[in-house]
Amino acid sequence: MPTPMNRREFLIRSGLMGVGAMSIPAILSACGASDTASDTTGGSPGRSLYFENWPAYIDEETVKLFMAATGIEMKYTEAYNDNNEYFAKVQPLLAKGDKADPDLIAPTFWMASRYVKLGWAQKLPLDKIPNAANLRPDLKNPAWDPNGEFSLPWQTGIAGIAYNTKITGREIKGMADLFAPEFKGKIGMLTEMRDTMGLILMGEGKNIETISTFDEAAVGFEKLEKAKSDGQIRSFTGNDYMDDLNAGNFAACVAWSGDVVQLSRDNPDIKFVIPEEGGTSWYDTMIWLTGSENSDAVAQWINWCYDPVNAARITAFVAYMSPVAGVKDELVKLGGDAAAIAESPLLFPDEATLSRLQTWGPLSEDEEAKFDEAFAKITGA
Amino acid sequence: MGAPPAVTRKPDAVGLGVMTGLGVGMVALGAGWVSGPWAVLVAVAMLTVLVLLVWAGVGGGLEVRRAIAPYGLLKPGILWLSLFFLAPLWTMAVMSLSSKKSRFDFFPSFTWDWSNYSRALTDFAPQFGRSFLYAGIATVLTICIGYPLAYAVAFRGGRLRNVLMGLIVVPFFTSYLIRTLAWGNLLADAGPVVAALEAIRLDGPLNWLGIMDNGRLLNTPTAVIGGLTYNFLPFMVLPLYVSLEKIDPRLVDAAQDLYSSAAGAFRKVVLPLSLPGVFAGSLLVFIPAAGDFVNAQFLGNPGTTMIGNSIQDQFLRQLNYPLASAMSFVLMIIISVAVLLYSRYLDTEDLV
Amino acid sequence: MSAATSTRQRLGRRAVNTVAGLGLLYVFLPIIVIVVFSFNDPVGKFNIEWQGFTLKHWADPFAEPELTRALWVSLRIAAVATVCATVLGSLIAVSLSRYDFRGRNGVNLFLVIPLTAPEIVLGSSLATLFIDRGVDFGYTTVIIAHIGFQVSFVAVTVRARIRGFDWTLEHAAMDLGATPMRAFWSITFPLILPGIAAAALLSFALSIDDFIITFFNAGSLLTFPLQIFGASRVKIPPQINVLATMLLMVSVSLMALGAAFGARRRKRHGVVAG
Repeated sequence: MPTPMNRREFLIRSGLMGVGAMSIPAILSACGASDTASDTTGGSPGRSLYFENWPAYIDEETVKLFMAATGIEMKYTEAYNDNNEYFAKVQPLLAKGDKADPDLIAPTFWMASRYVKLGWAQKLPLDKIPNAANLRPDLKNPAWDPNGEFSLPWQTGIAGIAYNTKITGREIKGMADLFAPEFKGKIGMLTEMRDTMGLILMGEGKNIETISTFDEAAVGFEKLEKAKSDGQIRSFTGNDYMDDLNAGNFAACVAWSGDVVQLSRDNPDIKFVIPEEGGTSWYDTMIWLTGSENSDAVAQWINWCYDPVNAARITAFVAYMSPVAGVKDELVKLGGDAAAIAESPLLFPDEATLSRLQTWGPLSEDEEAKFDEAFAKITGA
Repeated sequence: MGAPPAVTRKPDAVGLGVMTGLGVGMVALGAGWVSGPWAVLVAVAMLTVLVLLVWAGVGGGLEVRRAIAPYGLLKPGILWLSLFFLAPLWTMAVMSLSSKKSRFDFFPSFTWDWSNYSRALTDFAPQFGRSFLYAGIATVLTICIGYPLAYAVAFRGGRLRNVLMGLIVVPFFTSYLIRTLAWGNLLADAGPVVAALEAIRLDGPLNWLGIMDNGRLLNTPTAVIGGLTYNFLPFMVLPLYVSLEKIDPRLVDAAQDLYSSAAGAFRKVVLPLSLPGVFAGSLLVFIPAAGDFVNAQFLGNPGTTMIGNSIQDQFLRQLNYPLASAMSFVLMIIISVAVLLYSRYLDTEDLV
Repeated sequence: MSAATSTRQRLGRRAVNTVAGLGLLYVFLPIIVIVVFSFNDPVGKFNIEWQGFTLKHWADPFAEPELTRALWVSLRIAAVATVCATVLGSLIAVSLSRYDFRGRNGVNLFLVIPLTAPEIVLGSSLATLFIDRGVDFGYTTVIIAHIGFQVSFVAVTVRARIRGFDWTLEHAAMDLGATPMRAFWSITFPLILPGIAAAALLSFALSIDDFIITFFNAGSLLTFPLQIFGASRVKIPPQINVLATMLLMVSVSLMALGAAFGARRRKRHGVVAG
């Protein structure tokens, strides 16, 4: 027997539910935009800052000191794990002309040049960054940013070979050692194509600064492919090579200088060497993403980091080469461990060492695609 | 299943038709078959149908309501799945036939570009092969490990059955990634498993068999398959247990009373009755294992990558959405065909 | 002869028990590692080698702010997604087991398909849809993705739980003068509730632990598994082990609670709903 209750029950069950489901597309498109807003830091525009950086790339004090000194609300996260992966994350937003969450990121130079080329980076407010004058002269005006308006480097470093003496039982000298049969299955390579291929190509006697086509580099890819199919290479890793090196799973691997300096403090068996054939030098550089309006905060932050006193504190922790001139003197003033770092040839290389380092030149879009594709095929992904 | 209420045929057909129609409408809106004013039109039409339906339910008799009620209950869930399961499949199919105008063209256009499929099937044939091989071996291994476990709990567990079953399942409530990473620690070159194998001199034979590679376990195919086996074990044990638990132990006694040996009783009574569990478990292990990339990433080497790694890499690193979509589609089709063939042997209701 | 048989049987029984015991050990092996290393006192950055016993990570399990934030993100997502999916899925389950109607088998099949598609296909296809439609990745997309796989799961689980349910109880109540609404809420609902609660709990656990589907649809949002994935490339702080152990303990107590609750219900009502 139909009752009013019955009617309501029916209404609720089929009517409302159906209508509710109908409005999902509307909700879907409406929610998207509000999502990001809730994630960014609060505060008035210009007084807040969000910097997404690589992991373990800053000391614990700098951000706190900066916030206390300037009153700027700063969010600092370490979710930048991989150049390509991060690009894939922000690309849907930036390609649409929307704003990504962070104001600042620090991609490796070749990736930074991609952001600039795509028009996804803003010109830095250099007039409000007087300390930019402290930039090391050799880093000024790179080919992809000829006027130095889009980028200021965060840290610079060397890619070379790290090894665990407990496993190798001997000193490692050059690239030939990485391909030595005695280390079969105990060798690690980086997923960062330019560092892995750079070292291999230099090992083959190539100059990577002048390589501009895939054909010139093909010999290196063949060498890597063969090593992979022979089972020489245990795995391709990001920063996690340090785990494997420390645990003894890797005898030796392609590695970044600062990481190894940090690691060898805890484990003296770990050594870093620039291969006799030479190593690559690279830099991660700060760029200001389009859509961000926090120009003041960005300027104050970069200015803060380019003050040699603050730069020295960061260097003492991360153990990479600082892009800021005058850091060495500040480290000596700090004394203790920091002063010891000031003597490290990996942080402050002499002319002879510098002459053994090379940096990749620019690759055209199509050539870069060939490199990436060939590399992806070898890494097996 | 309760007694089916008497229904008049007509509203039944109307209910089904309306639900299907709304589902299709949902897919149309989601996948972008219609756009602009047409989308508004479709949305308005769908709303009108719903309102009419409600009105019919309110105005019509109890019979009408009874007939439409099941569809009313189904509708929210079904429409949700239409929008977020069917529509994405359609978009993915379109994407897999699209091509990029340049490397950084993030909105590929539809061009009937079949080359994505030929690349997926040629360049990534080894990864497809490995995925199905590893998933297949892992499935067999989960049966070998899971069957005694489920059997012991079902027939020997007594009153502790539920507790024991809980014990088996509980470890899988820790994070999947952490479990896999923990296996990385266990299997490391200087880790406990390798040390134990060396202590009992098993490393030689295992090397010879190719299970260990040069005295190593981590970053070998063995580790990847081992990881898959471990991580998907509960999906085998649970359905196996459910089917074994249903077996009346008196059947086994009866078989033995009739002079069947214990093994014979197992083979002739228990095994056949537990086969549905084996079938269901195999599907539940094989499917996720074939699409997995976590184990190959954490425990494998460059020569053990599976198709999941490739899809993930193409989608999230190389940004080649068309190629990644084509690979996903091929994977889904192969698995669907396998499942269809397989499910001829079992009722879908027995899954899970 | 009979003595020989019984010896053989005893041997067989022992063999099965041994194998099962070994299986149980195998299942717990990595868990032991996780729990033990939550008490490790690593000297450097790495929590790989045993260095010494400490309680300090347990004293301060939320010492890693990013990890804690990610855990909250996951809990929030799981809560919202589970509520939605439980409602949608239970309605489907009730409809499927209570009524016989045209298209029932079709709906059954439709429900199973998402469960048989590999996660990577579900994740990448949904991400393709979002990219194609210009939807920004974040909370909403992850919640939608989670509800997607949970709905089928809840529907199938609840349906299995209430398969034997006697729907005539409801009719009896109505014969005694209850309105259909009342009959449903006071008779049917309490009886099928344990099944729904169990399905909700499991799908909550699935949501918290989901990695593959989330990986494709999170954008820059970091859930707990995504944070672990990020950390796995640098250093795994011991707090990860602590939080994982805590999550494990919570799920164990929930399960124990559920079991105790179920046992008591069965005793009191003498009705088996599941």
